[in-house]
Amino acid sequence: MVDGISYLRRSRLVLLVVAVVVGIGCHRPHNTSSAVTVEFQIEPKPVRVGPVVIRLTLTDAGNHPLTGAQIAVEADMSHAGMSPVFGQATEVQPARYESHLSLGMAGDWVILLHGTLPNGEKLERQFDVRDVRPN
Amino acid sequence: MSGRTRQVVNQASIPSQESIESPPFDLMQVPVLGPLFRWRYARPFLQAPLLVVSVAMILHGLFGPSLAPKNLATTLSWLHFRGVLVLVLLCAGNFFCLACPFMLVRQVARRYFRPRFTWPRALRNKWLSVALFVLILFTYELFDLWSSPWWTAWLIIGYFLTALLVDGLFKHASFCKFVCPIGQFNFVASTLSPFEVKVRDQDICTRCLTKDCIRGRRDVASDLVMIRGCELALFQPRKVGNMDCTFCLDCIHACPHDNVGILSRLPGSELLGDSLRSGIGYFSRRQDLAALAMVFTFGALLNAFGMVSPVYAVENWLGRMLHVRHEAPVLALIFAVFLILEPLLLLGSAAWLTRAWGRVQRAFVPLIVRYSYGLVPMGFGMWLAHYSFHFLTGLYTIIPVAQNAFASLGWPLLGEPRWTLTGIPANAVQVIEIGFLVLGFAGSLAVTQGLAEEDSPARPMRAFIPWAVVCAVLFSASLWLIFQPMEMRATLMSG
Repeated sequence: MVDGISYLRRSRLVLLVVAVVVGIGCHRPHNTSSAVTVEFQIEPKPVRVGPVVIRLTLTDAGNHPLTGAQIAVEADMSHAGMSPVFGQATEVQPARYESHLSLGMAGDWVILLHGTLPNGEKLERQFDVRDVRPN
Repeated sequence: MSGRTRQVVNQASIPSQESIESPPFDLMQVPVLGPLFRWRYARPFLQAPLLVVSVAMILHGLFGPSLAPKNLATTLSWLHFRGVLVLVLLCAGNFFCLACPFMLVRQVARRYFRPRFTWPRALRNKWLSVALFVLILFTYELFDLWSSPWWTAWLIIGYFLTALLVDGLFKHASFCKFVCPIGQFNFVASTLSPFEVKVRDQDICTRCLTKDCIRGRRDVASDLVMIRGCELALFQPRKVGNMDCTFCLDCIHACPHDNVGILSRLPGSELLGDSLRSGIGYFSRRQDLAALAMVFTFGALLNAFGMVSPVYAVENWLGRMLHVRHEAPVLALIFAVFLILEPLLLLGSAAWLTRAWGRVQRAFVPLIVRYSYGLVPMGFGMWLAHYSFHFLTGLYTIIPVAQNAFASLGWPLLGEPRWTLTGIPANAVQVIEIGFLVLGFAGSLAVTQGLAEEDSPARPMRAFIPWAVVCAVLFSASLWLIFQPMEMRATLMSG
């Protein structure tokens, strides 16, 4: 026979489990947003294993070109354990930035931009580059 | 020298078989390990760190970076856990089940919920767990679990909740024996482990009156269980091998004569012979176990096939042929070919040839069942090659991921993340992979040859050759797979 105290303890345990599950179920990670627009292009197309060029165009909230940004580029595979690739984007024309990377494996890649704008604001962006073909 | 004298000398110089065999090495005799395993709280002591790591993986998976290479959930699950698991199974035994964090939570929960039901008779077999094993492999490919920290975290949560639910309702270790897909993987792989939980001296068991290893020990006054007996129904004196053994140490703690050890043995020896096994029955009569062995073996190739370039060409071709753009039906077809059609064709042909050519008297299906265990070493070789590749090539990635996790909590205890740390170069790991495949191939040849010699003493080679060909086909396929260019795509069908 279940006595009142153990019934209360069980109920608390069940409630705790339900609360934790519902709590984390309601949470989903979301991307950070910023007023800066980044236009992303990658060449060649279709993207193949080997050297690629990443072209970025930055504009602010008023659609004005954003010059003088410092942008580091990182390429990761969608699977853990693969070696990431790093590069620096250089400003080749006002507000137009270019980075040269070498992708080492076929599959899905994610390009991460870690930047600092002239006003000191941080810029973080993520672009998916799917279906990189083998050579 | 007279004939009689020579005979006496020969008898004296040739030691008997018993005296040649050295006693097995016992892990319980090792200075630190023995006392640790004998300690009543050894299991929770080993489970607690894994529980902490599991909780960290869940939290990081849900609330941490969404990119798999930067998250603890995906990095630890799909690189380190799987790699360490297969290497420990190869080098020691089923020590992951011993330290299983799901069972620690279950044990705590059982202080509140005492299970009332016994596991349904119709489900006292491996069919449900085989289906769940296939389901895990299928969802892994379909939902790209390896690329999603979020879903990886939910998979771990799902495991905890299922273990709690099953063992909260049903008595004994129902989850471990009849449900857990990881457990089934470990049971099959541990048939090739060099250590086994086993009685040291059968005579002591014969004289034992209490049989605490299976019954457990109860307090006379309160009738409460003081020390558990085997919850997986393995009676030590009649237990054969590691199948269904979680290395939980219950029998070691329960035995009043200290007669249970963790003894060395010849890996894979339990796959030979067909004696009555406690808690299992006869291997040759267990079609469910044979199905588990086949999913284990052919699933190894299928899982590796899912990460190489040709799979995408096959899927796109199938998609065009079937006029479907959704991934699930195409993937289901590939699974059916790998896990049903291919095993039936290969094993069916070999069994037919063995009966016709080798004149083996066994019926067709029991013959397939019997030899399916012989392919387990080849399957384990492929799992080892695949998982050790990810583990070794991404060995050090846990360092920057952990650095990043601590830094994101505001505790940069480990310094700035060094994302350039990866692991051992892939071409060096490939040599190790080939080694594992050769080991698995040799193991499968040895086991199937042993089975053929038992089945057809007059024509062992004729009974063996069809199975040797099956082993060679699997070995060639495995070798081909590891030389294919890897392709890590979260979207199987393009366009």
